[in-house]
Amino acid sequence: MPDGPIISARDLSVTLGGCTLVHAEAFDVLPGRTHVVMGPNGAGKSTLLRAVGGLIKATGTLELAGKPVCSGRDRAVLRRATASVFQKPYLLSTTVLGNVEIGLRLHGIGARERGRRARAALELLGIEHLADRRRDGLSGGEAQRVSIARALAVEPQVLFLDEPMASLDPPTRRSLMTDLFDVFSQRSVSAVWVTHDREEAAAVADHVTFLTDGRVRQQGTASEVFGRPQSEEVAGFLGMETSFEGVIEAQDGAVCLVLVDGTTLVVGEAEPGPALAFVFPEDVVLLRHLPESGETSLRNCLEGRVAGVRSSGRLRLVDIVRGDLRIVAMVTQAALDDLQLGVGDAVVAGFKASAVHVLPRHHGHAS
Amino acid sequence: MELILEGIVEAFRLLFGGDADVYQIMLRSLWVSGLALLVASLIGLPLGVTLGLSEFRGRHLTVATVNAGMGVPPVVVGLLVSLLLSRNGMFGFLRLLYTNWAMVVAQVLIALPLVTGLSLAAVQQLDPGFRLQIVALGAGRLQAFWLLLKEIWVTLLAAVMAAFGGIISEVGAVMMVGGNIRGQTQVLTTGVVEETRAGRFPTAIALSIILLLLVFAASLAMTIVQQRGRRHA
Repeated sequence: MPDGPIISARDLSVTLGGCTLVHAEAFDVLPGRTHVVMGPNGAGKSTLLRAVGGLIKATGTLELAGKPVCSGRDRAVLRRATASVFQKPYLLSTTVLGNVEIGLRLHGIGARERGRRARAALELLGIEHLADRRRDGLSGGEAQRVSIARALAVEPQVLFLDEPMASLDPPTRRSLMTDLFDVFSQRSVSAVWVTHDREEAAAVADHVTFLTDGRVRQQGTASEVFGRPQSEEVAGFLGMETSFEGVIEAQDGAVCLVLVDGTTLVVGEAEPGPALAFVFPEDVVLLRHLPESGETSLRNCLEGRVAGVRSSGRLRLVDIVRGDLRIVAMVTQAALDDLQLGVGDAVVAGFKASAVHVLPRHHGHAS
Repeated sequence: MELILEGIVEAFRLLFGGDADVYQIMLRSLWVSGLALLVASLIGLPLGVTLGLSEFRGRHLTVATVNAGMGVPPVVVGLLVSLLLSRNGMFGFLRLLYTNWAMVVAQVLIALPLVTGLSLAAVQQLDPGFRLQIVALGAGRLQAFWLLLKEIWVTLLAAVMAAFGGIISEVGAVMMVGGNIRGQTQVLTTGVVEETRAGRFPTAIALSIILLLLVFAASLAMTIVQQRGRRHA
């Protein structure tokens, strides 16, 4: 497998009526890696995917295996070298096997080889028993599996997936995610995966491009983007609902963030100066009372009051206020019951120094 | 009432007794409308699908023209064709007025906007993502066109059958351009008019029954095909 990018885009822009829908200075698809494009709805993720996949015209430089993609003919070559799966499965009015064969047929593969590869793809997705079924008899999850099998059957150099899980129910999504993870590992699939779901992104991403309003806000490895968001926008999207503004200072051998109200938080490594800091709700622990010194490894414990409790699936998000500060903790309903917490109750929000993600003010556009 | 019952009995005798005039009129109707439908479909289906899939300057005007064409009264088409084919008309030299060919031309002009407009509507009902998926599978322009046609063929067939129903039962235009000449250009609809005027009700009823049976057979065929298409979707 070559080391260089299979698809490489530079200064790629899609415009419509003089308006730039999306712009990416650099976008690479590396062999055997999954590049997740994430961001809120309307960020331009699907447009970027379609431009990179040669499905729509774009300005800038686009290369497939080092060869420039310029003309309509080049884009056709790019399309035949790749395959796409969309949010809807878009199955043709034929059998499941016929659907999986269609891409191979369009690639000019002979009947015998077509049948063999189509059945192998169905087996890979665990749906060989559906081969003779027609599209109307399939569930949403089965139809999406057929769509993925159809894409994989042509053995694409890059697989594009545009919100492939968005219309599936949670159990179906989990099952398909698990199977896809195995397929991707077995076959070293190179993929571009568009999603607005951060859990989905975190599960599959090797590289991440974060978009809002058609612009790339952050790009990097999954651990870089998820661990060190470079703007409030990215941090907010990743679910870091708790943010602090202050100044990083060294105090008693520790790196601290001194907040406007004088509260001091111990943080991990950070450069001195004005900074924003974010904490994931799941990193915040709730206590009824301030722990005694040495009783806990939590370096930061802030007293406040419960302002509200929200549902987040099976978990609960607890809003805690302390003056102008707002801290959000994610806990189970059982934990909430154990603590006997209700709105207005006093509570202590604790989190480790390593849970505080610091963003120097000069890096982002924090306001 | 007695007149009607007698007429119906006589009509069945004409139908099943092999009356040459009645069968000749029926076959002429089928030939004229069948040929007109074939020509209109060969032009209208690709035109409607292409219009539905294309983006070009003036598309809205073109679509509006097609839609307006669906509502043009057949007598207006008859008048237009009469003017064009009359001795002093643009195509008068062809000497087609008051022939079966003139009726074919008129029916093509009536059926064409119907086939085009209804097939255009069929394409526009398709999710745009479907086309994108087909292109993403590596289909070229013609391959994508063919695959999309296969997806909407039942609706396209409905468009064709609707046009058939429209022209087989049309009377104004064929009367004007065909002249309703007995034994030469008389078709089922114009035959019913003439036989009724002349008080030959049994023949008029027989021709009407044939007309109704043809329209019913066309509808039945379409329904069967649609139901099969739905089962195989």
